[in-house]
Amino acid sequence: MTEKKFYEIGQRPSEVILHPAGDAPLHRRRLPFTRRHWFKWRSRLNAKTLEQERMLADKRPLWWALGLLALALAAPFLSNPMLTIAAIFCIFSAINVLWTLIIGTAGIFSLATLAIVGIGAYVSAALNVYLGLPWPLMFVAGGLAGLVIGGFLALPSTRLDGLYYALLTMGFAEICRVFVQQLKPLGPQNGSINNVASFIPSDWQLQRPGLLLGFAGAFVILLLALLTFRVVNSERLGMLLQTAREDEAFAEATGIDYRRARLHVFLISSAGLGVIGAFYAQFYGSISPQVFSLDQLMLLFAMIVIGGLGRSEGAVIGTAIVVLIDKGFLNLGPIRILLVAAIMLGVTLFLHNGLAGAREQFRGWRRRKQSEARARRTEKGGEVMPEEAIEIADKQEIYYRRFQKRLRDRLKALITPELIEEHRQNPLGHHSDALSRVLNHFRRAEVADKYAIMRQPEAFHAYKIVAFSGTRGAPPRLVDDRTYHDINEAYHAVFLLRVNDLMEA
Amino acid sequence: MTNTRIFGYADPLAARAGSRVDFMISVEGRDEVEARLVRVIHGDENPEGPGYLEEAVDIDLPKVLKVKRQFTQVGSFARADDPEGRLDGLQNFTLFAHVFPTLPKAERQQVLGRWDIEGSRGFGLGIDPDGHVAMWLGDGAGVDEIRTEITLVPRCWYFVAASYDAASKEAQLHVINCVSQWNSRISTVVPFEADSWIKETLRHGPGATAGAASFKLASATACNPVRGHYGAFLFNGKIDRSGVYSRPLSRAEVMALAKGDAPAKDGLLAYWDPTANLAREGVGDTIPDTGPHGLHMQGINRPVRCMTGFNWRGEESYRLAPETFGGVHYHDDAMTDCAWDVTHSLTLPDDLKSGVYCLKVSGGGGEDSIPFIVRPKTSKAKLAFLLPTFTYLAYGNEHLSYEAPIAQAITAHTPVIVAEDLEYKKLEEFGLSTYDHHTDGAGCCYSSWKRPIITLRPRYRLPAMNFPWALPADLSLVWWLEHAGYDYDLITDHDLHAEGLDCLKPYTCVMNGTHPEYYSEEMMDATEAYLRQGGRVMYLGGNGYYWVTGTRSGDPACIEVRKLDSGSRAWQAEPGEGYLASTGQRSGLWRNRGRAPQKIVGLGFTTEGMDASEPFERMPDSFHRRVSWIFDGLGDEDLIGDFGLAGGGAGGIELDRYDLGLGTPPHTMLMASTIGHSDNYPLVSEEVTYAFPGRGGTQDAQVRGDMIYFTTPRHGACFAAGSIAWSQALPCKDGENNVARIMRNVLNAFLKEGDLPGAAYKGDEKLWR
Repeated sequence: MTEKKFYEIGQRPSEVILHPAGDAPLHRRRLPFTRRHWFKWRSRLNAKTLEQERMLADKRPLWWALGLLALALAAPFLSNPMLTIAAIFCIFSAINVLWTLIIGTAGIFSLATLAIVGIGAYVSAALNVYLGLPWPLMFVAGGLAGLVIGGFLALPSTRLDGLYYALLTMGFAEICRVFVQQLKPLGPQNGSINNVASFIPSDWQLQRPGLLLGFAGAFVILLLALLTFRVVNSERLGMLLQTAREDEAFAEATGIDYRRARLHVFLISSAGLGVIGAFYAQFYGSISPQVFSLDQLMLLFAMIVIGGLGRSEGAVIGTAIVVLIDKGFLNLGPIRILLVAAIMLGVTLFLHNGLAGAREQFRGWRRRKQSEARARRTEKGGEVMPEEAIEIADKQEIYYRRFQKRLRDRLKALITPELIEEHRQNPLGHHSDALSRVLNHFRRAEVADKYAIMRQPEAFHAYKIVAFSGTRGAPPRLVDDRTYHDINEAYHAVFLLRVNDLMEA
Repeated sequence: MTNTRIFGYADPLAARAGSRVDFMISVEGRDEVEARLVRVIHGDENPEGPGYLEEAVDIDLPKVLKVKRQFTQVGSFARADDPEGRLDGLQNFTLFAHVFPTLPKAERQQVLGRWDIEGSRGFGLGIDPDGHVAMWLGDGAGVDEIRTEITLVPRCWYFVAASYDAASKEAQLHVINCVSQWNSRISTVVPFEADSWIKETLRHGPGATAGAASFKLASATACNPVRGHYGAFLFNGKIDRSGVYSRPLSRAEVMALAKGDAPAKDGLLAYWDPTANLAREGVGDTIPDTGPHGLHMQGINRPVRCMTGFNWRGEESYRLAPETFGGVHYHDDAMTDCAWDVTHSLTLPDDLKSGVYCLKVSGGGGEDSIPFIVRPKTSKAKLAFLLPTFTYLAYGNEHLSYEAPIAQAITAHTPVIVAEDLEYKKLEEFGLSTYDHHTDGAGCCYSSWKRPIITLRPRYRLPAMNFPWALPADLSLVWWLEHAGYDYDLITDHDLHAEGLDCLKPYTCVMNGTHPEYYSEEMMDATEAYLRQGGRVMYLGGNGYYWVTGTRSGDPACIEVRKLDSGSRAWQAEPGEGYLASTGQRSGLWRNRGRAPQKIVGLGFTTEGMDASEPFERMPDSFHRRVSWIFDGLGDEDLIGDFGLAGGGAGGIELDRYDLGLGTPPHTMLMASTIGHSDNYPLVSEEVTYAFPGRGGTQDAQVRGDMIYFTTPRHGACFAAGSIAWSQALPCKDGENNVARIMRNVLNAFLKEGDLPGAAYKGDEKLWR
């Protein structure tokens, strides 16, 4: 027997637990126009106390609400530069959230995100400056521009795969930049359009109230982006695409047109990005070709990578980090870009799916550690360790395991060539005490994987050895292909298999 | 396996010559099969005996039968008689029931409702796949659901109610824990408080299902284009009183119903009260509606009745407190009637020889032998062989080797299976035996002939011990009677049960099969009366007259037994649930009801073991002239039956013992006993009061089978050889052996009316030694 150490286990609950009264009504309220509830609750009878417990199964809505509320409440107390940074954070977060829809939900690896924002900004700004479109309609113009460009960009997405499509969209951004810069009418302003009308009154520009209003607008844009994400990702479109992500062939076979769903997501996101473009132009009062530049795109990419692909919280966390470094530590100079690169490198090296996936990754790691320890500490069919006992509802099983282990140890000592010979000569009927004990142990085993003999159709005495599945309706499996022509030989062959199993246990 | 699957059954299982037998056949992979009729003479293919023997029977039978695939409804539930659709299209309603769920499972289980699964229409209250109580509604366009957050604890009583108000679209769900000191698996010391009350406003309401569904208990309505409507979402567990209101109930009204108060009349549409028709003589499949419209429920596949309800307080029988026996147990794997269409009706010729017949249907490499038993139109022979058809049914399609871990320890064998076993076990649609458990662990108390039964095929060997059992085993005796030239009629348990003494009266001698284990009161009475009136019985089996068995009056196809208290029982009825719903009688062992088998045939069950059978050895009584004629031709110390097709001996498998204390007639002669059993033959549990070691064959003298003889009034007599293996020793040595010799000696004497040989030797012995 190896030395065993029994570790104490047990934990106090780490969550807030509610105990709903059974004799008072529990109103389960739903989100309007859906069958969804506001919160996802998890209830159970606690196996340790049999008390009814109610917990929030998905706490993310709570964290979102707290985080956004904190940002909104903190804004009035921020300094002017910090307020601008907060607003920029909101804008880039909104862009990234929509981009996440394209990359994560739709699974289209597009790098034309900023290009669409830029086009939305340029179109709406040009319409405002040159044709006098009032600022509220700029959002519509930007959205339409985004939708049209999105429509064009979507076409090749079903034809080209991953990397090629990414290159194509990157090229598209570059073409936009070159095009704008070489546009004659914009030549004097170096390709920029200035003096764009804005939702911020012009005399408030760069004043405290203007900054506050700018932030408020950016905050609303972020909320709208998040709402779009929630509606697209978690409702019908997202569900369809979820199935497609798991198994494209299966999705197609069940009548899910996931290509169409992808296109829809792409179009919705593009329109949203166009609207953000219009907001962008208004927020700064101008728009420059810088928006199409590769370094901006790379910064955006860094945000998504650091935060984690495919999740809205990832997009926001990544944006917060990168914006804070890029805009908050301006005095660090070029080093801050290196800092962003270093964080990105660290995240890609150590995390599977950005910071947002860190928690899940940690849990996976803990599970792996746990099963490694199990494998190390648990002998097959041997003693049950305290950490294993919590998973066994019928505690009697634990005693059975202990008893069977000790019984097997005693029986192993009884197996001798003489005993095997005794069985060979006479598999049925009177047996010595030792053989009776060994046989009785074998016969009392659970049905799953228990050996049986299967008569073959070719002759009355033709047998093969099989093992039962232990599940109603599931057939036995063939254990070995040898045919025995004497029933006693077959009995003995089963006996030898069982002895072998015993000695190896 | 072949691509053609053929399964069939005969109804009735046993018929008189001149009457009609219907064959229900289902075939997959072909639309016609060849058919021929054979009389089976021997079943066991063991090369040490005569092997499988059949003879073709020339009868008016089409060579080719048109067949189709037939479907089987598996699972028990109840359907409301509601031709006017009073329970359809309800908009405001409350559904309620007392339930005792037994098995959470990955499929939705409907407790009650009218739900069309394919059309997503109607309403249903039940348990969702995650184990929550839920009510689902649908109007065809959309579905909606309200569910509890808690899950139910299996085998505890709860009251569940769900209401819906179409105007506000508000649904309410109530779950109220009804665990008492008596009624559940656990008691009130368990600190669980599983009440739940949910309110929710739904988006979709219920729609009318019309013909697409019916109102059911323990099931919802599914539809398949080939098969038509059938029950799915099957519930496992008991449902006590249940009902429907045409309005949402208030909390106070719900609480009152949960307590068991009579339902308020206002808005009550139906109230199914299973206790309302519990009669002393048992109860059928109807669950009466005591509400205003009389929408009675009809049970399918025999929901188990007379079960304890939520308000049960420990009474042993439903007869004592019927109002506490509202439990009706539903199982998702119960099957008592395939209800297939008749494929062919065969009118038996008036002069058809009594025997075991098989309709052999084959085609495309598939084959089935559908057995049935023919009894002469009027009794012809002086000898009747009573085939224990109750026992045949009790073991029908048993799963012991596949599911009972302990089976190998009982039989001391490694099971031997064949390909056809796998075919049957794979399908799992032909029901269970009374040795099996339902999916929720409850024992199966019903078995019927209205289904294909693999264990009745004449060549079948029971996997657990690799020799024939029941009908296939009894064919050894049939073969021997043919071989020895005795004229005989076959009669069955079902005949005896239906006709009583009249069934036996025409015969001078009646012999039992190898295992007459399941007996009804009628059969016990008739046998006893037959012996009392001068009949002669040859009891040639083991573990006979054991379980109190019944059939519902008018429906002989299905037997019922409840295993309880003691005895070798594959399962144990729950407290209070030991009375037969078919007859109202207490089930369990006859011995525990004052009628030990010893009182009728002198022997009763004492041990079982399947590793090896042993011979009988003559006892001193066998040398008395009253009985020594039975041993004519045998040596004084000859071992009787040290050979046999079941375990290699005439004394084994299940053995019966002489015991004056249990009622063996005091003048019984103990002529022979088996010797030398291994410890795989333990003393049976009903004999064990204190448990102590050493109750096996090598240490306990009660582990043995006895051969006895006693006389009864008017030249009657009983010869009993208490061993299942006895008849299976007859075919050895070409049918000429010392077991056969004893049989001839007894038969020759028993078939002669008047004084029995040895009857004169009743004087006091004057001895010089």
